[in-house]
Amino acid sequence: MVPDDETQGEPEGAGDASASAKRAAEAKLEAEAKPENDAKPPEDEDPARPAPPPGGIADLLAEALPDVEMTAYQGMTDVIVEIARDDVSQVMKVAKEDPRLDLSFLRYLCGVDHQDEGLEVVYHLLSLEKKHEVVIKTRLGTDDAKVASVAAIWRAADWHERETRDMFGITFDGHPHLVPLLLPEDMTDHYPLRKDNPLAEIEEWQGDQLPEEGAGGSMTR
Amino acid sequence: MVQEQQIDTVDINVNMGPQHPSTHGVFRMVLTIDGERVIDVEPHIGYMHRGAEKLSETMDYRAAIGYQDRTDYLTQFMNEQAYCMAVEKLLELEVPERAEYIRVILCELNRISSHFMFLGAFGIDLGHFGTSFTYGFREREHIQDIFEETTGERMMYGYFRPGGLVWDVPDNFVQRVREVLPKSLQGLRDIDMLMTENEIVAARSRGIGIMSAEDAINWGLSGPMLRAAGVPWDLRKDKPYSIYDRFEYDVPVGRHGDVFDRYLVRIEEVRQSIRIVEQALDQLPDGPIMPEKMPRRLRGPEGEVYAAVEGARGEYGIYLVSKGGDKPYRLKMRSPSFCNLSALREMTVGNYVADAVAILGSIDIVLCCVDR
Repeated sequence: MVPDDETQGEPEGAGDASASAKRAAEAKLEAEAKPENDAKPPEDEDPARPAPPPGGIADLLAEALPDVEMTAYQGMTDVIVEIARDDVSQVMKVAKEDPRLDLSFLRYLCGVDHQDEGLEVVYHLLSLEKKHEVVIKTRLGTDDAKVASVAAIWRAADWHERETRDMFGITFDGHPHLVPLLLPEDMTDHYPLRKDNPLAEIEEWQGDQLPEEGAGGSMTR
Repeated sequence: MVQEQQIDTVDINVNMGPQHPSTHGVFRMVLTIDGERVIDVEPHIGYMHRGAEKLSETMDYRAAIGYQDRTDYLTQFMNEQAYCMAVEKLLELEVPERAEYIRVILCELNRISSHFMFLGAFGIDLGHFGTSFTYGFREREHIQDIFEETTGERMMYGYFRPGGLVWDVPDNFVQRVREVLPKSLQGLRDIDMLMTENEIVAARSRGIGIMSAEDAINWGLSGPMLRAAGVPWDLRKDKPYSIYDRFEYDVPVGRHGDVFDRYLVRIEEVRQSIRIVEQALDQLPDGPIMPEKMPRRLRGPEGEVYAAVEGARGEYGIYLVSKGGDKPYRLKMRSPSFCNLSALREMTVGNYVADAVAILGSIDIVLCCVDR
């Protein structure tokens, strides 16, 4: 078995020497930057939402946007930052353009229906240069499902927002072309991915056919 | 010529698809053309929309694997891996070494077979008739045989499970893969010899559908599309998952971001995948393929995870929200075909009508993955 560390090196001869040099430089930068912001008072929060790692992306966001109210915590895989709906435009603009954050890549944008707790829009942002990422979320009321569009900031958001409009009925203000994408144009009365939208009978039935406790769900087919 | 310029021309709308041989599935685009120039494109998708995300909410964690095979039906193993990784992160399952190695071998073979499919279809898109297509399919078939021997299925494998694999590979698996790899390499050489220096291919693909590195990132392109634009971003290297940090391989990047570079990047990716498979076969350990303590019924805690793999088309990711219980509360599939296709208009406007087909081909879309 080859140990991890030895093969984790730079890609060689991939045709782009500058890129691999860049990688090395970044790794160095990161290593230098880490020890600086260590002093972070532990806050008394509920255990399901542990504080994000100090000096990480949550702190950078707070530093770049001192006036915006944010709730940050460490999720199971990513740092999650919750913001108010009215701040979306401002936060996203800074997230992309601030050189400290440089979140230039929108991995995806989607909606989640939390039923009584309203709808949620999730933005997963990534920096290809700095290799950090963050999940930004905002809550909307089910009756007032509107949020500012980010399609002008990341062009990638264009189709994602149209899809989310189709599936959750969320209106993205300022989107250049918010017309149905995946669903037929005349299907405007219900939103399939909302929890109150029923499945067809056949699909409900499939769900009930799942293996019972102890009987099925075995490791083999 | 002087006279022609003074004639007022009318822009014409041309409908392409949904039944059209070069749209790679049920995809429709309305081209607005001025003479031979495309001045606007309106893509229409959703013909294949089956609501896989909604359906996954009604299934328990193992049952939803089947829907992963049915999104991108050319890279099923990678989709399954992304999904299983998401569930494993949620349930904190540890995958045994052997299972990880087999996953990597199958995923990389899947990448090779998917790229062969692309290379074949790409030749047809460029008016290269059927030679490249038969070359590509011949090689793909060898790999397909291995998949069938391993999983019992030709397309909808359902072979990965949260925690490992459904069963171990056949006894002669390693030997069979070793037999096929030289064939794949030779098949790749054949296609390379046939197409790379070919006059038609060069004339039809160089300098069209250009995406700069900055635009490619802004449009959320990933995989070969992004790397062809010169961005050396590969999740296997940059956000290492599974055991990809144990292998030596290169990440090919393009220089111009045009259709031809996307073709070249994929050619080179096949070579690199063969390298990975060879190393993985050498290192393949014995051992279990599932964790010893596996719950009979998978129940997730409350929380949310995101797991992504470098699929053949780009980043295939699963965003999974759990509110406890044995079903996902919300499952979002980040489909690379969907994201890459969204930039079609950007790439096509200004080019000729015939180039629209080449550009669409270079995205290498799978419509089932676009629509989910």
